[in-house]
Amino acid sequence: MVDRRLAWLAGIVLIWGAAIFFKIISLQVVHHQEYSKLATERQVVAVEIPAPRGTIFDRTGQPLAMSVPTESVSIDPLRAPDLGVASELLALVLHMDRATLYGKMKWAHDNHHGFLWVKRKIGYQEAQNLRNLRLEWIHIQDESQRHYPKGTLAAHVLGSVDFEERGNAGIEQVLDAELRGQPGQARMLTDVKRRGIDSQSSTDARPGTPITLTIDERLQFVAEREIAAAVEAHHAQSGSVVVMNPYNGEILALASYPTYDPNLPPQPGEDKASRLNHAISVPFEPGSVFKVITLSAALETTDLQPTSMINCLRGAITLFGRTIHEAHGGYGTIPMAMVLAKSSNIGAIQIGMRVGQANMHEYVRKFGFGQKSGIPLPGESGGKVRQLARWSKASLPSMSMGQEISVTTLQLAQAAAVVANGGLLVKPRLVSKKGNQTVPTEQPVRVLKPETAITMRQMMEGVVMPGGTGTRARLQGYTSGGKTGSAQIYDPVARHYTHSYNGSFMGFAPLTNPAMVAVVTLNGTHGTAGFGGLAAAPVFHAVLTEALRVLDVPKDLPDQTPTRTPVASSEEAADLAIADIGRGQPNILEDADEEEQPAAGQAERQTRVPHQPAGPTVPNFRGMTMRAVLAEAAAKGLTVLPDGSGVARVQNPPPGSTLHQGERIRVEFAR
Amino acid sequence: MSRHLSPRDIDWTVLIIALFLCAVGALQIYSATRDTEFQSSWWKQIVYVLGGLLLMWIASAVDYHTLLHWVPAMYAGSVLALLVTYVVGERVYGSRRWIPLGAGIHLEVSEFVKLVIILLVARYLADLKTDVLEIREVLKLAGLVAIPAVLVLKQPDLGTSVSYLAVLIAGAFLAGLRWRYVAAIAVVAVIVVPVGWQHFLTDYQKARLVSFMDPERDPQGKGYQLIQSQIAVGSGGMFGKGVTKGTQTQLRFLPVPHKDFIFSAFAEEHGFAGVVVLLALFFVLIMRVVQNAQTAPDRAGMYICMGVASLLLYHALVNVGMVVGLMPVTGIPLPFMSYGGSSIWTDFLALGLVNNVRLRRFVN
Repeated sequence: MVDRRLAWLAGIVLIWGAAIFFKIISLQVVHHQEYSKLATERQVVAVEIPAPRGTIFDRTGQPLAMSVPTESVSIDPLRAPDLGVASELLALVLHMDRATLYGKMKWAHDNHHGFLWVKRKIGYQEAQNLRNLRLEWIHIQDESQRHYPKGTLAAHVLGSVDFEERGNAGIEQVLDAELRGQPGQARMLTDVKRRGIDSQSSTDARPGTPITLTIDERLQFVAEREIAAAVEAHHAQSGSVVVMNPYNGEILALASYPTYDPNLPPQPGEDKASRLNHAISVPFEPGSVFKVITLSAALETTDLQPTSMINCLRGAITLFGRTIHEAHGGYGTIPMAMVLAKSSNIGAIQIGMRVGQANMHEYVRKFGFGQKSGIPLPGESGGKVRQLARWSKASLPSMSMGQEISVTTLQLAQAAAVVANGGLLVKPRLVSKKGNQTVPTEQPVRVLKPETAITMRQMMEGVVMPGGTGTRARLQGYTSGGKTGSAQIYDPVARHYTHSYNGSFMGFAPLTNPAMVAVVTLNGTHGTAGFGGLAAAPVFHAVLTEALRVLDVPKDLPDQTPTRTPVASSEEAADLAIADIGRGQPNILEDADEEEQPAAGQAERQTRVPHQPAGPTVPNFRGMTMRAVLAEAAAKGLTVLPDGSGVARVQNPPPGSTLHQGERIRVEFAR
Repeated sequence: MSRHLSPRDIDWTVLIIALFLCAVGALQIYSATRDTEFQSSWWKQIVYVLGGLLLMWIASAVDYHTLLHWVPAMYAGSVLALLVTYVVGERVYGSRRWIPLGAGIHLEVSEFVKLVIILLVARYLADLKTDVLEIREVLKLAGLVAIPAVLVLKQPDLGTSVSYLAVLIAGAFLAGLRWRYVAAIAVVAVIVVPVGWQHFLTDYQKARLVSFMDPERDPQGKGYQLIQSQIAVGSGGMFGKGVTKGTQTQLRFLPVPHKDFIFSAFAEEHGFAGVVVLLALFFVLIMRVVQNAQTAPDRAGMYICMGVASLLLYHALVNVGMVVGLMPVTGIPLPFMSYGGSSIWTDFLALGLVNNVRLRRFVN
């Protein structure tokens, strides 16, 4: 009986034992591979070793952007024992708001998220305090943080990075791939609490390539300081400076104002303009600085010489039903060099007409306008040059004095370099070295004959010499040449030219064998003080004085005791390109990109909406005596700047236009 | 009892296998607890084993008939000790199992009660002197076993509680419980338990139940340990990862690798080959105990040996079944291998009982 029962019992036990044994076979023999994989998945964690982002240096080896190691905190909300206590604790240690943190943790927990960033890039002490808590659900990760040691310096060139250290502006964005490097992979053996025990077969992180810019930190600093001061002083909206080596195209300084601190993430309500690189992204109508291109083209394509006499028609020309005036006064027949020095609109128009549409267009393109320079920065604008086929009759005279075309400060610097270096178009160069490899330069393209360039340089010297519009740019101890420009800003909403200006100056020094060209632009200045000769030329003077000294450029003029240099009066600096020849034409700034929409010409010819005068209307003084003019002006509360004697012949602003706040009316009298 | 008892007559096969298992266990404990707070466990285990040998000798020296005579007293003492445990027991991970004896020593009374249950069942069934066990008698015996079983269940410790029932069921079956009752109990068990589990409990309740059954070893969710254990066993493969090389064990993925999950740790480090040897040793050990039951001089001795055999079988099968995922996770130690003084001493005392019977097999 017992033995039979025992056999039964043995049978049951054997079945049970066999089931277990087969399960063991299944685990260890049949499905061994899968379980090995599962074990590896649990134990081996692929850890990304962040590659340090490449440092950005200036040309002298000063670091402008560097990555410093820092730490970030994340938690596993599912493993935190009590969210309330956990949030309290973290909020205390990390100086955060408890309620917000609790909300985030609760959300993550309820959605079964096992990972939550609590705070990125924490301080050393905070990390240390957290570590001392020894809580397994708190994770502290190594991260690196981009640091811009010079703060706002070269912010627009350098750009910035986002939270993941990806470039989102400037060089950081364009060269992101090089700068970022290759993160390394470590396979880390971790225990159940995710503590690393051992690391295996890791590929080393390949650090990002260091980038050396052509920027000179010292020049950049001066340029930024000066443009900031000028923008503030002239209540302009923005400004930009480009300093460039004309021979190799190296950008020594590229400043834009307003600026920002790339160390800080964009703040809500931050002025968007501050992150805009005005030197390359915001094209404008250049105005009189463009006369350099007109005259260069004239020297090459016509028989005009600097001494050739140009009839400036005593200050008024009527073209296509519109009368164009000089910015100030009027000239008779003057040499071409004087047209440039005095920035005669009528002279430039006369010269431009001689050049002709085809030649003008060709030279504008050859000087690099209407095309991106290819500088490695995001958001570069190529400016706009109308296709020749779409030019109206007014286009040629407009363009001769820098209207109907939009350019960037950088393009102007590129064009100035053509004159400065003897006639070659050199592409601007911003990155000199990637790692140890020098970035190859592009072959320059000849634009002007060397003798043309030399002639232009001499004529441009006349601009800064007494009697020119740009005397305030004149340097101590160095010869220099330049050109002023003031262009009325076109209001695309109201569709008319306003009385705020783009004041600019482009120039180079020394005159022979120039070491650098510089272009200064102030956008949105007001009144005559905002003209290029008065607002931008002093910036040129200040920047180049310091830049030439810093770069040890030998002086080519004897040091003289600083006599009171004849400072240009507002009349002398008057170089305003009268902007309304092409009235009825759509403004260049409104044009769609030519390359993109070549066939859109018809649709664009919209009629201009008659503008509503916002200020007092300029009366017509012509033909009145000075006494009568002054009496009428006094009666209307207007300020008149009389010049000459006799009856009023020319006035600016013209009759019927709206007078800007504080603007004065220049009236020229002649017998 | 006229013949003198010779120590040479004890079951050396059983003892050597048991000591070998203890050695393997100590090595595995060493491997599993390196660099942890339990790293002194391996030599403590050796001390426990030496103590166990002494206890085994004592348990085999006193005639088992004398022991059976004292069963009522032992039973009363057990129930009292379990009640004391329930009152003064130290709560660890939510269950009260240990009576603190001072000096860091904790006694797990429920372990030793297993032996009392074996003796109780043996005496009760032997006293019946019939070939057919009536259900009435079974129910009486079951009532006696149920009292300590319920007390242990309330600790809560489902695994140990059920081990008492295993001894009872094996004894009752061998004592000739009528087939219709066996069938009835089997049918009730087979139908009621899974049906109730499947249809009357929600997943949440099941999880709660599993967690309730054994809160100590299930702190992070019921499936976690089982998964980790299966991965440990499975990743061990044919020949294992080597002593101290088992990653699941060494990296602490495996829960309590020196106690209930020592088989997983062993399987991971020694592989299928090691497992086969280990299970074969357990098989031989238990078969030897069964053989001793068959050569027992009387029914009481037979029931004692079969009680020990069923206890060891129950522990081996439930523990291994648990770590490979065939049984629910209940805290059952693997005999001779899992770390713990109370369970080691219980195992050796049980071997002492078997030798006790064996040494007296030629008594007329």
